[in-house]
Amino acid sequence: MIAIDVQDVSKKFRLYTDKAGSIKELFTKFGRPKYEDFWAVRDVSMEIEEGTVHGLIGHNGCGKSSLLRMMAGIHIPTSGRVITTGRISALLELGAGFHPELTGRENVYLNASILGLSRAQTDQLFDRIVDFSGLAPFIDSPVKHYSSGMFVRLGFAVAVHVEPQILLIDEVIAVGDEEFQRQCLNHLRTLKAQGTTIVMVTHAMGIVQSMCDTATWMDHGRVMVDGDPLSVVGAYLHGVNDREAERELAEAQSQEGNRRSAPQGPDILQLDNLVQQGPDGRPVSFAVSGEPLDLRVDWTTVGRFPHPHLVLHIETPSGLHLATSHAPERSQELLEEGSWSSICRFDSLPLAPGEYRIRMTATDYRTSVIHHVGDYQPLVVRPGDQVVEGVFALDVSWTAGAPFEARD
Amino acid sequence: MSSVSQLWAYRSLILNLTQRELKARYKKSILGWLWSLINPASVLAIYSFVFGVVFDAKPPVAGNGHTTVYAMYLFAGLWVWNYFNGTVMGAITALQTSGPLLNKVYFPPACPAVANTATVLLQALIESAILLVVMIGLGNVGIELVLFPLLIICISFFSLGVGLALSVYNVFYRDVNYLVTIGMNVLFYATPIIYPISLVEAKSTVAARIIQLNPIAQFVAWSRDIFWSLTWPGPWSLIAVPLVSIGVFVLGLILFNRKSRDIAQEL
Repeated sequence: MIAIDVQDVSKKFRLYTDKAGSIKELFTKFGRPKYEDFWAVRDVSMEIEEGTVHGLIGHNGCGKSSLLRMMAGIHIPTSGRVITTGRISALLELGAGFHPELTGRENVYLNASILGLSRAQTDQLFDRIVDFSGLAPFIDSPVKHYSSGMFVRLGFAVAVHVEPQILLIDEVIAVGDEEFQRQCLNHLRTLKAQGTTIVMVTHAMGIVQSMCDTATWMDHGRVMVDGDPLSVVGAYLHGVNDREAERELAEAQSQEGNRRSAPQGPDILQLDNLVQQGPDGRPVSFAVSGEPLDLRVDWTTVGRFPHPHLVLHIETPSGLHLATSHAPERSQELLEEGSWSSICRFDSLPLAPGEYRIRMTATDYRTSVIHHVGDYQPLVVRPGDQVVEGVFALDVSWTAGAPFEARD
Repeated sequence: MSSVSQLWAYRSLILNLTQRELKARYKKSILGWLWSLINPASVLAIYSFVFGVVFDAKPPVAGNGHTTVYAMYLFAGLWVWNYFNGTVMGAITALQTSGPLLNKVYFPPACPAVANTATVLLQALIESAILLVVMIGLGNVGIELVLFPLLIICISFFSLGVGLALSVYNVFYRDVNYLVTIGMNVLFYATPIIYPISLVEAKSTVAARIIQLNPIAQFVAWSRDIFWSLTWPGPWSLIAVPLVSIGVFVLGLILFNRKSRDIAQEL
């Protein structure tokens, strides 16, 4: 059964150039219009099956939130129709309608009624809501004394307990601490298992890939790609990556040339440059999980340098040592004075999306004397087609489940 | 009709909005709820002094045949005005301040105005209860009190209808708010509240007729009939007032629904 049927929907907003909004307008209306039409959503059709989770992704201002508001009935489509079956609860902002002067308890009742619950229904759910929020000790204090995190917890607790048939969520999971986020996601899975249809707007691609059954990538109000979440997220990320790479490349070219500096000081070995680049040799400003990455280090030696040995360190931004890679000794030769270039190649970057820092050091591999310690450099890893959970992708193989044989 | 049933479905929200308004209104004030009585009492005192003492206005004799306290005669009309004024102005503010909420959650946009009416209704009931207590003390009560519930219902529907229509136009043209403030001032003096209608009749019967066409003048007249002179309103008034009240409410609701279809984006 189709829970949400979006039929050829478009939504036009008026962008007022000069928002007068007065009776004067009544008389000046016949002149040129004081607003411009802006199509937030253009010719969008989609069908969302009952009991499935659908993700809406796209850059800010692409129309996904407007579409969600039309599903919720807050906005009316300019053309086309949205047909929904079942009670809708929309989570466009947590704690919407909370009154700062009222206590948590009073606000739970108020918020639940905004979401369409009767007093008797709220009575029944009240204890579960408070348990979920973990705010039992504070429930009778005015919410103006709550921290923003507490505010959000209570708002979410109310919203997910009203037992909607359709739940619309706009980027609200990204708030709260890690533990609460996990609690929220678990609860959403429970709702899904109970047959609730969920539509979520999010920028967390991991959530889309792990939670959603279907997804849509929107851009400038139109549907770019829809279908299974993996391919939609992949298409979206490629779009984003391409766009950013273009921009970064243009910036990098304008700064070219002023980075290199001549070796100086007493070092006889100097690491000049550490460049992150793609397989095609072009510098990149970020890496992608599971994709190839080359780290090129340019170095200069002054005088003879018998046993140079390069080491790559990968750390978290806070300094937790994650991994080290030593260049094989074989590659080192007795070197003449000059400039050199080495490449450390990842065929498939095993790091999970996130921020890291890397640096190269140069040592003498026989004496372990450190000749040069390079500067830290940030390494930004974006999500790719392949989902990496934790910190590293493990390169392992599993056997298919074989019958368990008891051993003596 | 569907919009009325929708409002009914959201009665729990209306109740909670009312409670929120009532609970939050006088938090952090020492006198708290007393303020809702001090305010009308001060207005009553000012008018009583200016018109009752300085101008020495003489009200018609009350139903018990001897009471002529101007302040009480005034109060019998003033509470009606307070209720009407509070409902209309409150409806305009209620819709305007619900903008952020209406952009986040769907609910019938008439709910805040209805909730506001409920809070003002409570105030009106307290005021009329005080009036009744004083009248009992003066020995001026009669069977006509059975009309009181009908009067309250009529004022509620009429005021809410006017308030809903004005509130939705105020979203598009903020001038409405200012115009209504002035209009209310004019209407207050055009309604026989601080003066008896007989004063106008003595000057011009035509003007008196016109004034009596004003529904609020009718509400005030009913209240004076019930609480002061202990008489029944005329048969025409008994039929016309409920009909007009319901008519204005339905009209206001239709206008509101038509203009508020996509109101969230305008707020």
